[in-house]
Amino acid sequence: MTAPAHSDVTPNSPARMVRLVAGREISTRIRDKGFLISSAVLLVLIIGVMVLQVVLGGGESTTRIGVVGGGQAVEQALEQQGELADSQVEVVALGDDAAARTAVESEDVDAALVYADGARPELLVVSAGGQPETLVQNALVQLSISRQLADAGVQLDTSPAVDVVPLEDGGDDRAQATVVALIGVFLLYFLFILFGQFVAQGVVEEKSSRVVELLLATMRPWQLLAGKIIGLGVLGLLQMVVLAVVGVVAALAFDVVDLPGQLIGTVLTVLAWFVLGYAFYAAVYAVAASLVSRQEDLGSVLTPTTILLVGGFFVALQAAQDPFSTLATVTSFVPGLSPLVMPVRQAAGEAAWWEVGLSVLLILAALVVIVRIGGRIYSGALLRTGGRVKLREALRAER
Amino acid sequence: MLEIDGLVKAYGSNQVLQGVTFTVEPGQMFGFCGSNGAGKTTTMRIAMGLARADAGEVRWSGRPVDDAVRRRIGYMPEERGLYPKMKVGEQLSYFARLHGMDAAPAARAAEHWAERLGLGERRDDKVEKLSLGNQQRVQLAAALVSEPDVLILDEPFSGLDPVGVDSLAEALLVQCRRGVPVVFSSHQLDLVERLCDAVGILARGSIVASGTVDELRSGAVGRQLRVVVPDAPDHWADALPGVRVVSEQRGDTVLELAQGADDQQVLAAALATGRVAHFGWREATLVELFRDAVTATPEVAA
Repeated sequence: MTAPAHSDVTPNSPARMVRLVAGREISTRIRDKGFLISSAVLLVLIIGVMVLQVVLGGGESTTRIGVVGGGQAVEQALEQQGELADSQVEVVALGDDAAARTAVESEDVDAALVYADGARPELLVVSAGGQPETLVQNALVQLSISRQLADAGVQLDTSPAVDVVPLEDGGDDRAQATVVALIGVFLLYFLFILFGQFVAQGVVEEKSSRVVELLLATMRPWQLLAGKIIGLGVLGLLQMVVLAVVGVVAALAFDVVDLPGQLIGTVLTVLAWFVLGYAFYAAVYAVAASLVSRQEDLGSVLTPTTILLVGGFFVALQAAQDPFSTLATVTSFVPGLSPLVMPVRQAAGEAAWWEVGLSVLLILAALVVIVRIGGRIYSGALLRTGGRVKLREALRAER
Repeated sequence: MLEIDGLVKAYGSNQVLQGVTFTVEPGQMFGFCGSNGAGKTTTMRIAMGLARADAGEVRWSGRPVDDAVRRRIGYMPEERGLYPKMKVGEQLSYFARLHGMDAAPAARAAEHWAERLGLGERRDDKVEKLSLGNQQRVQLAAALVSEPDVLILDEPFSGLDPVGVDSLAEALLVQCRRGVPVVFSSHQLDLVERLCDAVGILARGSIVASGTVDELRSGAVGRQLRVVVPDAPDHWADALPGVRVVSEQRGDTVLELAQGADDQQVLAAALATGRVAHFGWREATLVELFRDAVTATPEVAA
């Protein structure tokens, strides 16, 4: 008897195997409730941060002052005072005393100036104190002085404008970039944990359901590992890009940031560090997860890596405050910490190009080591179910 | 032809396999028996590349089994395994694709096998929602979905009810008729006896007996005679020359006759005790053959 013919079957190349695994990861995860909810939460969070920036005076506040009579001189003086106080003043002309009262009471205006031209001007406010009071007071004083000077026949030269020279190179922009980097690092931290967990859960699910034996009968462990990490990584990067685009668009729309060029540069840096950091943490999480066979045991093997991640996040926060500190400088080279710290240093303009390059090289080198050793642990531990596999056992167990 | 040739495997100091050798012809159903821990699963795992043999080789059509050949093997592991949260149809077509099918034929094959194994209506259900019996069918479908050239099944019948056993047996026979060699391990020896063209008995890390059931029988030690004599006193047959009493229970006696012993003399002795309800040669069941083979001394086995 001859073997049956199979017109439909061609042997899979390793690349196709990896693609198949990655495809399954994406298609199952994208329908997963946990994933959808966390994505929505992140999106809301990003927009929320922007809105908060606007509300908390990231944008300039406007003071509305009603004026009865007074004419253009009063209006100009008020606006000038507003500029000095770094807030926008909008002058609203009102008909009479009664109209002024209604406007103040209905909070249509913050304050109303009555008898502006007279000797005893009155300022109507809901309650005494506050910015409008000072503003109006100063404006009237200024008006009065210039009127008296004019009456005395003094001609005023225009006062010189002061040119501001910041000594630190782009100081203000740098601060803004650092904030963007910090938001980015927060997202990195969140997504590393989220997708690291996804990878770890996936590995354990395959072990606990024993489907891994069926999988390994058709492919090599490294193909399974690579497919899993790449599949979820593509999804993670996609999520990161969506968040970045929404974040940038929202920041520009809400006028939170001044310099789009710098903003986009920082965002791209964060994205690049996402790829490196994700590869690092996903590989470590996957290898650690391969040591256990039950979801309940995951915590114990993942903790060391999670501590590293949390540590990196706190160092990054500290680095944002003081990018020049030794701690920030040193940790920005440590593989695993660097994806969280280096973007902040880069945004602060503190990292030289060779430092970034060295840091990238170091994490790439660490990745090679992890994939090598981790791949051996992973394939050694995959078919061992039951208790927790010891690292050394897994390394020795060559299939 | 599937050849398992001299497999040796040790886990630490535990010598699991010490030269396991057998062959399975195309279209042959091979029953792989052995006590617990005899090394059946290890043998199958080595064939599937899930464990590495210290020595020996597995060949298919004269060629060592490599990754490419392995994708043409349908496998059912002892520890059943499927993605619990994946739908039946998607799961089957995923496995078909892993075995090298393109997306469209894989989807067709998944549909076909789900239908054939009575899972047609459950195709869109998640595996975890199915009964254990149905999960077992999905497992079998996963092994068959890529139309494999060889089937290696570890304890495929365990956990099935009699109806399930029959439908699985039928499915396997269909594969055999296609010319596929089928190897399966089982503890249910009556089933093996009924289904298999050939049997291999594994004990202490090597095959101690193999061949068709008839071949095994002819090699069995001694011939057995069953005599039912309800009125006979106990130990009625003890004194007969060349006869060993294997068992005796209220006159239902199994005797083993040495070479040259006279069965007519036994009959005469039986008649002397009174009524003879049954007198006949007994065909050894596979269970007995198995017991003999497994308990034989290692020297005999080698």
